[in-house]
Amino acid sequence: MKEFNIVLAGVGGQGTLLAAEILGTAAVKDELNVRVSEIHGMAQRGGAVVSTVRIGDAVRAPTVIDGQADVLLGFEPLETLRNLKYASRKTLVIMNSEEIPPAGLAAKNLKYPGLEEVKQKISRFTEKIIVVDAAQLAEEAGSSLAQNSVLVGALAAVASFPVKLESVVEALKQLVPAKHVEANVKAFQLGYGAVKKEMAS
Amino acid sequence: MPDLRVLLLDEAKKRVLLLGNEAIARGILEAGVSVVTTYPGTPASEIGDSVSVIASEAGLYMEYSTNELVAVEVAAGAANCGVRCLTAMKHVGLNVAADAVMTLAYVGVRGGYVIVTADDPECYSSQNEQDNRFYALLSNLPCLEPSDPQEAKDMTIVAVKMSEELGLPVLLRTTTRVNHTRGPVVLGELAERSLKGDLIRDVKRMVMVPAHARLMHDRLLEKMEKAKGISEASPFNAITREGRSGVGIISSGAAYNYAVEAVDLLCLDAGVLKLGVTHPVPEKMIAKFLARHRKVIVVEELEPYLELQVKAVAKDCAPNVEVYGKMAKSFFSRKGELSTLSVAQGLAEITGKKFRVDFAGLHSAFADVMKDLPARPPILCAGCPHRASFFVIKKVGGEGAAYATDIGCYALGIAPPLCVGDLLVCMGSSVATAQGISRVTGRSTIATLGDSTFFHAAIPGLVNAVYNNAKVTLVVLDNATTAMTGHQPHPGTGMTGMGSPSEKVSIEKVVEGCGVKYLRTVDPFKVKEASEVLKEALQQPGPSVVVFRAPCVLLSVRERRRQGVKVVPFKVTDKCTDCMTCIRLLGCPALVVVDGKVRIDEALCTACGLCASVCPYSAIEGRCLK
Repeated sequence: MKEFNIVLAGVGGQGTLLAAEILGTAAVKDELNVRVSEIHGMAQRGGAVVSTVRIGDAVRAPTVIDGQADVLLGFEPLETLRNLKYASRKTLVIMNSEEIPPAGLAAKNLKYPGLEEVKQKISRFTEKIIVVDAAQLAEEAGSSLAQNSVLVGALAAVASFPVKLESVVEALKQLVPAKHVEANVKAFQLGYGAVKKEMAS
Repeated sequence: MPDLRVLLLDEAKKRVLLLGNEAIARGILEAGVSVVTTYPGTPASEIGDSVSVIASEAGLYMEYSTNELVAVEVAAGAANCGVRCLTAMKHVGLNVAADAVMTLAYVGVRGGYVIVTADDPECYSSQNEQDNRFYALLSNLPCLEPSDPQEAKDMTIVAVKMSEELGLPVLLRTTTRVNHTRGPVVLGELAERSLKGDLIRDVKRMVMVPAHARLMHDRLLEKMEKAKGISEASPFNAITREGRSGVGIISSGAAYNYAVEAVDLLCLDAGVLKLGVTHPVPEKMIAKFLARHRKVIVVEELEPYLELQVKAVAKDCAPNVEVYGKMAKSFFSRKGELSTLSVAQGLAEITGKKFRVDFAGLHSAFADVMKDLPARPPILCAGCPHRASFFVIKKVGGEGAAYATDIGCYALGIAPPLCVGDLLVCMGSSVATAQGISRVTGRSTIATLGDSTFFHAAIPGLVNAVYNNAKVTLVVLDNATTAMTGHQPHPGTGMTGMGSPSEKVSIEKVVEGCGVKYLRTVDPFKVKEASEVLKEALQQPGPSVVVFRAPCVLLSVRERRRQGVKVVPFKVTDKCTDCMTCIRLLGCPALVVVDGKVRIDEALCTACGLCASVCPYSAIEGRCLK
């Protein structure tokens, strides 16, 4: 199997680590070779965080080569932009539209870029962009904290994603807090459905 | 939730996804290690944390020691009673422990003893990026370097065996990309373990007075001669690829992963020698590898540690082979972490190979995007008591005071708008660096450090302040946990790594015991009272200590969730004049400006009330939640 590279970019506290662990666990369920990179410690305190998941027989390094992401899973628009170096024409960008303005933006008189501006910047790297309103879908699923499950679902809907859908759901059920399993599975399905719908249109 | 009980599975050959640090914890169980000591530090923390969760059930003893030196000393005692031990720490922890490690190398051990040192190339969560493989050279201890979680587990077991065979502690040197990489790990058999040791008197070996130390230095050198044979025969030192181009690559650890992927990226027909035992290096194996190639390229992260040794071997055995790395000319960076791309660039430059992908175009487009992209550095959480503490400190000390800071979340106090922190060196340093600053500048000097850091390394510095009558004020930011590394307990928390209650060591009693005359404890969220206390402390003729006590907000939030206490966020009322005082002074992420108006982000507000106490128009209302 050729390699499949996912870059998960977000803000500390958004659950990118858990999402990456779910994907890695699912890959192992399917007996695939996988590497997941994480950053812990100081960087997590509300800062920009990035995790990578690489699946494929020959994969050894946990980090992704520039331009070689198959999917850039952006948990937040600014963080999606911050990791565009992993994107190229082959990359599908799936981006959560919920903005988290960095602290101090107002004090520095800086403006958060609008969604169109963000999309225009992404389009310099790839035309394949899907925007997901993970906040609304998570709310619909019954937990505002389930946005990461929405995005995992969105990723699972990508045709070339090499892990079985049921393995991802199984890993998700195993790893999210027991009392929130139902909401997270629902969130996963809504994310999955949103991307399938987008791709059909 | 991630279930660490997977580490206890008695299912050999089962393949599971493990974090490098969890893999080391599993290795501990498969190696029959019975005593694990640690002081938390990124990227090593999850080794101790994982063991802490399973220790009782697995029948082993683990402790969060006061600091890394103590951790090594406790293990040195147990290992010399024949019990298998492991100590885990971040790279700079080994500086703290070095005094014990250097001489323990002479004494040796009876039970296998592994010291895990987790280096942090790129300083993701560290104050430096020192290459601890040089500690192996310095101390004459064997060193193993895993490249992925599977090897992290397997090498833990081999290191324990090697330690027992040689009677020497063994270093297991990891880096962030091994500790914090998840990968598939095939489980092995769980080993029997025993906590029962016996002390056999052996004064010449174990009591390092000069006459004995001279003898044992000899023994150490003999042991390392024997280690050379182990290294030559180790399956972790192996040629993993044969090449026909005359180019050979020698690599180890995380760098090896980049090296083989870079070789593929460049379609380079190169031989690859992977080194897992990097002290002592297998000189004969290296000599043979050198003899079979025209050019040998050493790919390693941080310092040219292997390159030095490969060049030494080359000088004697293969003087005509060209050896490339980072010494004569630097083809790979000596700082930061490597990547497949940076390694490929170095290899391309040496071999004259071309890239197939236009990275230059990609990078220039990316530079354009980054140009006006607002940064998102890590910040103190909404409701963090350190924000209140630094607000008070800045209010009282102003621009005139000097601020010595320390290792922990509170190092983030240097960020605007708080900007507290003039000097930061290492764990526990602030209380003593403050004394140097105060003595030669005469400025009011405030040292800040956390509760866990206080116990870790600040006490001798505090005694020094009393003894030498230094005019400094130490502010202990007591948030009742080791927050930065994942909320581990410490001597002041009344909880042990085994999860059992213990005596709470009182910071105040320690401070009093050191002879400090001025000591006050106050809640930093009570801004007025805390400011008065700090003002008074700064006026003392000698050392003074103020404990700012308020729990880490992440713990309070968790506790409230558990108890079902609902947080009612504070509100900005129409008395607000948009003066932006709260924004300017606090930098709380829950305070946002929407269309020129201050708003409180309800999802982030933890109802700490700090913003309400600084608002000049009493325009922020709510009930403080403790």
